[in-house]
Amino acid sequence: MTAQAVIEARDLSLTFTTADGPVFALQGVNLTVNDGDFISFIGPSGCGKTTLLRVIADLERATGGTIEVNSMSPGQARMARAYGYVFQAPALYPWRTVEKNVGLPLEIMGLSDPSERIKRNLELVNLSGFEKKFPWQLSGGMQQRVSIARALAVEPKLLLMDEPFGALDEIVRDKLNQQLLELWAATKKTVVFVTHSIPEAVFLSSKIVVMSPRPGRIIDVIETNFPAERTLDIRETPEFLKVAHRVREGLRAGKSYED
Amino acid sequence: MKTSSGIRGGSVVPVTVIVLLILVAWYIAAIFMNTVVAQPRIDAAGGGFSNTLSISWGLERPIIPAPHQVVQEIWMTAATVAPWETKSLVYHVWVTLSSTLLGFALGTLLGIALAIAIVHVKLLNKSLMPWIIASQTIPILAIAPMIIVVLGSLGLTGLLPKSIISMYLCFFPVTIGMVKGLTSPDPMQLDLMRTYYASTEQVLWKLRFPASLPFLFASLKVAIAIALTGAIVGELPTGAQAGIGARMLTGSYYGQTVQIWAALVAASVVAAGLVYGVGGVERLVGRRLGSQA
Repeated sequence: MTAQAVIEARDLSLTFTTADGPVFALQGVNLTVNDGDFISFIGPSGCGKTTLLRVIADLERATGGTIEVNSMSPGQARMARAYGYVFQAPALYPWRTVEKNVGLPLEIMGLSDPSERIKRNLELVNLSGFEKKFPWQLSGGMQQRVSIARALAVEPKLLLMDEPFGALDEIVRDKLNQQLLELWAATKKTVVFVTHSIPEAVFLSSKIVVMSPRPGRIIDVIETNFPAERTLDIRETPEFLKVAHRVREGLRAGKSYED
Repeated sequence: MKTSSGIRGGSVVPVTVIVLLILVAWYIAAIFMNTVVAQPRIDAAGGGFSNTLSISWGLERPIIPAPHQVVQEIWMTAATVAPWETKSLVYHVWVTLSSTLLGFALGTLLGIALAIAIVHVKLLNKSLMPWIIASQTIPILAIAPMIIVVLGSLGLTGLLPKSIISMYLCFFPVTIGMVKGLTSPDPMQLDLMRTYYASTEQVLWKLRFPASLPFLFASLKVAIAIALTGAIVGELPTGAQAGIGARMLTGSYYGQTVQIWAALVAASVVAAGLVYGVGGVERLVGRRLGSQA
């Protein structure tokens, strides 16, 4: 693996000023994401995992420390369209067909002929043949796959995913996890993935970042060494359970299980 | 002046029943309300039930004309006269309709432009909105003559001053609806645009505007009906020679109540048609944009 840093955060912090006083969403975060990594941020709600992802995406500004995305500031990286972002909900535009939704970023980038890219990225998420459908004609899982194709259509090296499968049922989620893993293996993207599901994080990731709240900070970084070609079956192996246990230990150390 | 989204299968019976009830009530009311004028004649004719009906429903200048008298008047002035003659109701409807449509178009454009400005410039929301609301608290009857006179002194007569009054009335619901509609996209849909580094115009045309269309059409239905009201009101204070308003005015000068009612009915039919037309365009646009309905 070439250890070229895609994301480099040093002593990063973000404090929201609210009427009830400051909220320390992130504090002293140090993180390196290398090219080709599949990184998961896991932790209870309020631990700053989504905030950290939004700082990387320049949807929030850090109030302290430094962060670089592709050796640029997050703002410059956003202007260079260096990443694709998948939200918690599909956030498809209901008045656009599937292909027009996937083509939206390409229209904004001013691409003259986006049809080939749209076709290719819909194939990647197994949605060929659904080009002319409107979002409401698709299931929740399919809608989220459209939104993944839309993020991939930008052809970024970095894919940022904020609990993309959080709203889906477990069976659909398992299937999409498997597909996402295949996609990652096929495209060699760097993925930063936010989740609150331990099995999801352990199954998908090459590196798990365990976070804890008040203030939002990183407790542990766990490298997993599962084979690239893995199926959902590995979730029953002792190695898998060992990693899952260590994640749980990290969460406990961060007092995430306390009221 | 109001209409629902149209007559669909299954609603024929209730609609017919309501229409019949209104007609019955109207005929009965006509007997009692015309008593003042009709009673001496009924007595002179020897009284009796059949005389009561035939006289109170057949007066030349009734207080309330019977429905068939209105229908007859509409038929006589719409179907038996060439549409370009000043006696033709069609001619008068067209005069009012043309200024209604021009005013509606101007009002819609003004309404959308104001909404876009208000949504994009925070300061305008605070500074402009009170004026927009205040503008609608002024009775249109009070300022309509002034608008006509001021524009007339600038050499603008005929269609445009009336359209300006329509515009003045109908930009308001468009602005209110569009401000709501343009701000209706949720934070996630807006964040998505931010991740694409989309320009303000791109966000407007690819997100805010399509998202606002349901709000726009709801507003347009209100706007087009009051644009017609505005055009009619615009005809009243100026002693206009043509238009539905002029028709009502001359009717009231000469006590031609049947003519006034015919003009009233014509106005409500036109209003219903216009609102229905906006609904039709809405359905067409909705189908194009994947609406589930």
